[in-house]
Amino acid sequence: MSIFTPTNQIRLTNVAVVRMKKGGKRFEIACYKNKVMSWRSGAEKDLDEVLQTNTVFVNVSKGQVAKKDDLSSAFGTEDLTEICKQILAKGELQVSDRERQSQLEQMFRDIATIVAEKCVNPETKRPYTVSLIERAMKDIHFSVKANKSTKQQALEVIKQLQQSIQIQRAHMRLRFVLPARDGKRLKEKLRPLIKTVENEDFDEQLEMVCLIDPGCFRDIDELIRCETKGKGTLERFSTLSEDV
Amino acid sequence: MGHTSLEKIIALQKKTPHIRNLCILAHVDHGKTTLADCLVASNGIISSRLAGKLRYLDSREDEQIRGITMKSSAISLHYTTGNEYLINLIDSPGHVDFSSEVSTAVRLCDGAIVVVDAVEGVCPQTQVVLRQAWLENIRPVLVINKIDRLIVELKLTSQEAYTHLQKILEQVNAVTGSLFTSKVLEERAEKDAEAQSSCTENGSGDQVYDWSAGLEETDDSDLYFSPDRGNVVFASAIDGWGFSIHQFAEMYSQKMGIRSSVLLKTLWGDFYLNAKAKKIMKGAQSKGKKPLFVQLVLDNIWSMYDAVVTRRDKEKVEKMVTSLGLKVMSRDLRHSDPKVLLSAICSQWLPVSQAVLSMVCEKLPSPAEISAERVEKLMSVGARRFDSLPEQTQELKKAFLDCSADETAPVIVFVSKMFAVDSKALPQNKQRPLTQEEIAQRREQARQRHAERQAANQSAETLKGTELNMLPTALSVKTAVEEDNKEHFVAFARVYSGVLRKGQKVFVLGPKYDPSLLPEGCSAADVLPSVPHMACCTVDSLYLLMGRELEELDEVPTGNVLGIGGMEEFILKSATISTSPSCPPFTPLNFEATPIVRVAVEPKHPSEMPKLVRGMRLLNQADPCAEVLIQETGEHVLVTAGEVHLQRCLDDLRERFAKIEISASKPIIPFRETVIRPPKVDMVNEDMGKQQKVAVIHQVKEEQTKYPEGVQVDSTGLVTLTTPNKMATVGVRAIPLPEEVTRLLEDNVELIRTMEQFSLFAWEDKTLDINQKILENIQEFKVKLESNLQGRKWRGAVERIWAFGPRRCGPNILLNSVEGYRRPSVWQCLEREKETEKAEIRDFDNSIASGFQLATLSGPMCEEPLMGVCFSVETWDMKLSAPLAQQDSIDEDSQTAEPNIDNQNESSDTHETNASSASSNRSRSGAEAAGSSVDCYGPFSGQLIAAMKEACRYAFQAKPQRLMAAMYTCEIMATAEVLGRVYAVLSKREGRVLQEEMKEGTDMFIIKAVLPVAESFGFADEIRKRTSGLASPQLVFSHWEVISSDPFWVPTTEEEYLHFGEKADSSNQALKYMNAVRRRKGLYVEEKIVEHAEKQRTLSKNK
Repeated sequence: MSIFTPTNQIRLTNVAVVRMKKGGKRFEIACYKNKVMSWRSGAEKDLDEVLQTNTVFVNVSKGQVAKKDDLSSAFGTEDLTEICKQILAKGELQVSDRERQSQLEQMFRDIATIVAEKCVNPETKRPYTVSLIERAMKDIHFSVKANKSTKQQALEVIKQLQQSIQIQRAHMRLRFVLPARDGKRLKEKLRPLIKTVENEDFDEQLEMVCLIDPGCFRDIDELIRCETKGKGTLERFSTLSEDV
Repeated sequence: MGHTSLEKIIALQKKTPHIRNLCILAHVDHGKTTLADCLVASNGIISSRLAGKLRYLDSREDEQIRGITMKSSAISLHYTTGNEYLINLIDSPGHVDFSSEVSTAVRLCDGAIVVVDAVEGVCPQTQVVLRQAWLENIRPVLVINKIDRLIVELKLTSQEAYTHLQKILEQVNAVTGSLFTSKVLEERAEKDAEAQSSCTENGSGDQVYDWSAGLEETDDSDLYFSPDRGNVVFASAIDGWGFSIHQFAEMYSQKMGIRSSVLLKTLWGDFYLNAKAKKIMKGAQSKGKKPLFVQLVLDNIWSMYDAVVTRRDKEKVEKMVTSLGLKVMSRDLRHSDPKVLLSAICSQWLPVSQAVLSMVCEKLPSPAEISAERVEKLMSVGARRFDSLPEQTQELKKAFLDCSADETAPVIVFVSKMFAVDSKALPQNKQRPLTQEEIAQRREQARQRHAERQAANQSAETLKGTELNMLPTALSVKTAVEEDNKEHFVAFARVYSGVLRKGQKVFVLGPKYDPSLLPEGCSAADVLPSVPHMACCTVDSLYLLMGRELEELDEVPTGNVLGIGGMEEFILKSATISTSPSCPPFTPLNFEATPIVRVAVEPKHPSEMPKLVRGMRLLNQADPCAEVLIQETGEHVLVTAGEVHLQRCLDDLRERFAKIEISASKPIIPFRETVIRPPKVDMVNEDMGKQQKVAVIHQVKEEQTKYPEGVQVDSTGLVTLTTPNKMATVGVRAIPLPEEVTRLLEDNVELIRTMEQFSLFAWEDKTLDINQKILENIQEFKVKLESNLQGRKWRGAVERIWAFGPRRCGPNILLNSVEGYRRPSVWQCLEREKETEKAEIRDFDNSIASGFQLATLSGPMCEEPLMGVCFSVETWDMKLSAPLAQQDSIDEDSQTAEPNIDNQNESSDTHETNASSASSNRSRSGAEAAGSSVDCYGPFSGQLIAAMKEACRYAFQAKPQRLMAAMYTCEIMATAEVLGRVYAVLSKREGRVLQEEMKEGTDMFIIKAVLPVAESFGFADEIRKRTSGLASPQLVFSHWEVISSDPFWVPTTEEEYLHFGEKADSSNQALKYMNAVRRRKGLYVEEKIVEHAEKQRTLSKNK
């Protein structure tokens, strides 16, 4: 028959450890899981909901409490709550499962929103909805990388999506006026960059309204600026998706 | 009766006076389709044994499964009583969601059979259909159905049943009566209005007020239902019996020797038979005698049920059968289910089809008897009076009235709906039953083949020959399979005049066609001048509608209901077809239910988008009440009349039109963001400022983190921001615009756009010609703006307007309050003549405007557009070095200002600068060294745009921010008893009642309310459920409304702490909406991942 003997240890469960090295010493505090990120983003305002105890440790799992001298020499104060706040703000921690999950989910949505904003269905010339893009992204098994910017990933996704659904970057409408001298020469160079020419007028100077892929804008801009030595002008109308 | 042949029906179609076009109308589950079954069975199309169980006219699979009718379908029947009649019967659905189908059916008919359940009595839909029949001016007859339920289920005595039936009849007549009175009152009001106007013209003082309301003058006796008038039939369609009192009157006049005319009058009503005196006396009720109807009619039926169903008395049954002179098959007599025997007896004794059809033929008008009133109503669209139509058109009225099938008569056909048919069902593609000869022929062929095969064993050469023969047949099979997948549309129509022939050239007139626009003298044969809403086509094929089957016809004479094939190119939903172009389009159908349930539809697999789009287009054509929209956001929105209707539409899309997996979801709800004046009172209605602020622990921290470095905000809300390269500084303040100004800006989007265009051209030293009228409008708009922007704060504001936004024409204003900067005003087009001193434009003027456009396109709260905000640029300092000023300002977008993120070519990505004006991107530097020094923060104009955008956002945030919700105005018709429940539903969904008034002459209330669009999902369904269908809402988008609660509100004062608690976790409507949008867009939502740290699952408990 086993007898239940109360231990004189307080055992902490669900611990997330936040560590910080300061003044050559390592300090740790014991926090609840899934809470530190909320604190850092400002969503959680109650410190007691974040900290298990406001003791500062040297090693949480062994239960070694930091010495007062060390604390005051490293932080310049003996106020434990203040020290805990500092460690919370600047220390390193292991991101817990749900924190990571919600972060990735949020990024996934963000990417889908960016894609939906930038692209149109070439048939209807209307944008796709975000939920449809999300589904398409799941279909091609796109996985979010947490350390890359969402915009960068969105541009990659668009390329991948083009293989599975009919999607297209919204066209940009440009108008440029070129001096007649350069007009002919430049037109040939511009030709491969232009999707469709809507309007062309060639008397004293070449005036053109055309649709281009947004990716080519830099090239065209560069080309016109260099070749005409600043005489050609380029202006941008709104993108197509909005006109239709 | 045998199967009526097609030839017979074709022959009958030509005798217009012997045609009856009628539809069956009733509340859901009152037995329309069962009754139709009985009528169909009388023509031998289905077995009479199956009548009532088969539901022949419910040809869709889901109709059979759910047991409700969902579409109206027609069938032509043949009936003989002395004369031969052709009856075009249309069965209609009873469910509210499909009341559009009822409208399409009613339009094509001259009469209607209104079915009422003997137990349930008058139900909401019964009232609706009676009203519909009334509005279309068609004559109804009444069938009181399910009398067997009174006997078997309710176990009423015959006497009780009689009073019950009387009550029902009274209810029905009450509805008709109220329709009649409201019409009379309406006419009266009109007449009064006319009289009054003429009175005032004459100036005569002596007006005579007539209080009689005109009800006495108008005779309404022929409107009501009464058995002695012969327009009521008592029936039990499921058991196959039905009678009108005519039948009994005749029966008893022989038996009792009383004249049938006397019996007819006395059989229904308070009369009794005095057995001693052999006389019929009045006052059965007061003397406690059985009324004649009970004694002679109901008692017989009751004893029949008693003998057959309740007691199963075989001997008595046999006695009854012989006394009635019927023959019942012994198989039925021995059957264990008494219902079989019962229907076998009753359907011979009192066949329901006989009773109903004879009543229909006698009481309902033939197509030739169309009333002049109805014709005028059909021909005059909207508010236009008949007299105002062109003369040629008025002449057509005669054609309507004549209803002649002459060659010379103009053809007038009305198409009320389009319905989709599988190409398999079309007669052209149908396999015909083989005739005897063909069978013999085939047998012969098979024999030959067999012989050949035997011969082939001996010689291989013969085999080759047969193979060649087989090949073409295989090919033809293949093509047939390919065709199968196509949906065909058949127009559900009726000929009102003339003869419609296959191959005839006709005009198809859309609902918006106006005959008065037509040039003189042209006919169908001419080459068409292009007239809006008119098309010319050839009639491809004509069909006789026989329920689910179609029979091909060559011509259809006047007065008949028919199907027209091959019209899908020309007709969207409904149309008028005529050989005379002066024919007016018929008045649009009266839809009782407008589509209000909105869902967004998406394919399960995104690659199937084109299929969905095509499917939606087909659905739109096939369903008179479904609407399909593609929204600006790219959503495909389907609007239906109700949940059941929605389900059907989705099924149709899945299985017929698109043939793909789809998912339907709540549509995206738009919001707007705005700022308001600082509120004077706090959440508990205490004066602001006087309250002692409770120290809020974390508030301070928040305030500090709100603005990053480089942004200064002063106490009045002026935000100053410097570009990353420290070259320019802008100071912006956000000011709420008065509500009237916002509305004015919204209403004049087109004008603003024109003005924009003008300044754009002026920029390039060109001029755009604007006509005088528009100029006047602009002037008026300007004056109105000035009158609405009064006060010290707005002095000279209108002149100083820099731009409108977003998209350069939105309801937000950019104001130029920079000292010493005069730029050309947006009102340039008005001042063309004046030629004011040329105001110079600063460099990068457009960067500021673009920044403003970007900021207004997506606000800081949840990236939704702004509305009703004025950004006033108060300072704008530039410290430019010479080369920078000349730097080519071809715009890079705002992202370039954040150089680390995107250094690839994506920075040229423009999406966010959509709105940036074309001119903003003009390079204005003439001679400039190519590839001039680009500083490390990217091109300067881009930086300025970003800085301006950020400044606007912070300025916005410095003011009290609010969310604006789109609002529906909601009109609800409800009866008095469900008023309370309507209010409950409205208040639960944050609706607000504006007014409530009683409709004159009825007991209906009309409630006007506003309801946030965000709360409207499922609203219609809920309100119908809660009020048992007695209230029907209609939703129309009306306006944007500021949600009064602050999304960022937290309690600060003592009182608020007391009232809401420290966390204020009682629901904040604005916060709820805002977070929902942010979550949808993948923006950061300030929300804890777990609410309570201690309540997480403990992973390792016992260590």
